[in-house]
Amino acid sequence: MSGRVIDILISSFPRILGQGLMVTIPLTVISFALALVIAVVCAMVQIANIRGLKQLVRFYIWIIRGTPLLVQLYLVYFGLPDLGLMVPAFPSAVIVFALNEGAYCAETVRAAIEAVPKGQMEAGYCVGMSYVQIMRRIVLPQAFRTAFPPLSNSLISMVKDTSLAANITVTEMFMATQRVVGRTYEALALYSEVAVIYLLFCTVITKLQAVGERKLNAMNGGNVIRA
Amino acid sequence: MLEIKGLKKTIGGSEILKGVDLAIGKGDVMAVLGPSGGGKTTLLRCLNYLEKADAGEMTFLGQRMDMPGMSRRDIAAYRRHTAFVFQSYNLFSNKTALQNVTEGLIVARKMEKAQAEERALAALERVGLADKRDSYPNQLSGGQQQRVAIARAVAGEPDVIFLDEPTSALDPELIGGVLEVIRQLAEDGMTMIIVTHEVNFARHVSTKVLFMDEGRALAMAPTGEFFQEQKLERIQTFFRSLDRKEG
Repeated sequence: MSGRVIDILISSFPRILGQGLMVTIPLTVISFALALVIAVVCAMVQIANIRGLKQLVRFYIWIIRGTPLLVQLYLVYFGLPDLGLMVPAFPSAVIVFALNEGAYCAETVRAAIEAVPKGQMEAGYCVGMSYVQIMRRIVLPQAFRTAFPPLSNSLISMVKDTSLAANITVTEMFMATQRVVGRTYEALALYSEVAVIYLLFCTVITKLQAVGERKLNAMNGGNVIRA
Repeated sequence: MLEIKGLKKTIGGSEILKGVDLAIGKGDVMAVLGPSGGGKTTLLRCLNYLEKADAGEMTFLGQRMDMPGMSRRDIAAYRRHTAFVFQSYNLFSNKTALQNVTEGLIVARKMEKAQAEERALAALERVGLADKRDSYPNQLSGGQQQRVAIARAVAGEPDVIFLDEPTSALDPELIGGVLEVIRQLAEDGMTMIIVTHEVNFARHVSTKVLFMDEGRALAMAPTGEFFQEQKLERIQTFFRSLDRKEG
């Protein structure tokens, strides 16, 4: 590797990492937090079988899972202005990522709630608790333990998917890299560099997942094997 | 204290309960015996509205209620007077033994935490598990879990406890401890209805026997009378088949 390439890699590193910390991470965190709220609400609507709303949720999940993320980004950022609705790039990305991830996580959360044995609900009723109380204090905490690994999966996915936001002019980490490549023509070195930074981010999340799982297991008595 | 008339329940097109009558007084321990598939568990689940009866009238503490017509609020109020012990324990798996007992007291009965814990500890003491207060269900043996479940039932100071085959899921060497706890409750005058296959236990602890077969109550009698003067051919056959299995 020539000295020039090394110089470029070193000088571009803080800029790329900076965009990662200032755009990629906030975009991921805000979108994922919203996605979780959407997911829990959608899962609850389906579990509680609220007529009308349930059909609406199924429709939403059907649309989101059946269309590409990139197309959804274009629809919101480039399409909505045709209706007179101008949404800036970053909020557009947040809306799309939250709605997109929310649909997938809704299914994860629903499956996790359904995996909690029915006897937990019945035992709750028998000690006099209401449906909402049992859900909040007994069922959802247990479902969260089950949903935690697949939700971590989704989060890792989303970190990388945010690179698609470059297409709608969000200057996140990938777009920052593209710009440096545009000036220096060192595609291999620079795209490798940004790949390593994505890998770094995802490694941190993987470690956090392991810590989280240990914490959650401790709250369920050491391990999750149920008699 | 609790009286049922004409209880009927159909599940998935087949009639599980075909009009069951029963009555127990305060301090009674009723053993519900009979072959599998006879409707024993469904009967018990209807008594606590885990299944909604299709027909039937319940008189509880002098109050008459139409069983299918009970509102959610009526059921919640009724359940504050009852408790249920499940065959598979159904302890809250994200709560410790102590929290399993206090949960209903604090959340449903709005008791102060300190007072609830005091009462819960006393209940755990009663089943011999005070030292396991901070254990989670999956750290306890089946027998211990069932005893915690009984402590959870007792702590609400119910007027009646329903127990659905409380020892059927247990290893043979753990059954004795659980039965002993139930026997103790009976001695203390707790009113209970127990679905069980433990005939000897029924003979020695219960005050009344209800024999269920094919969705009907074939017999309801004081325990002594039931076992000594059993004339019904169907019931004699049932006990002979049990003897063969155990013999």
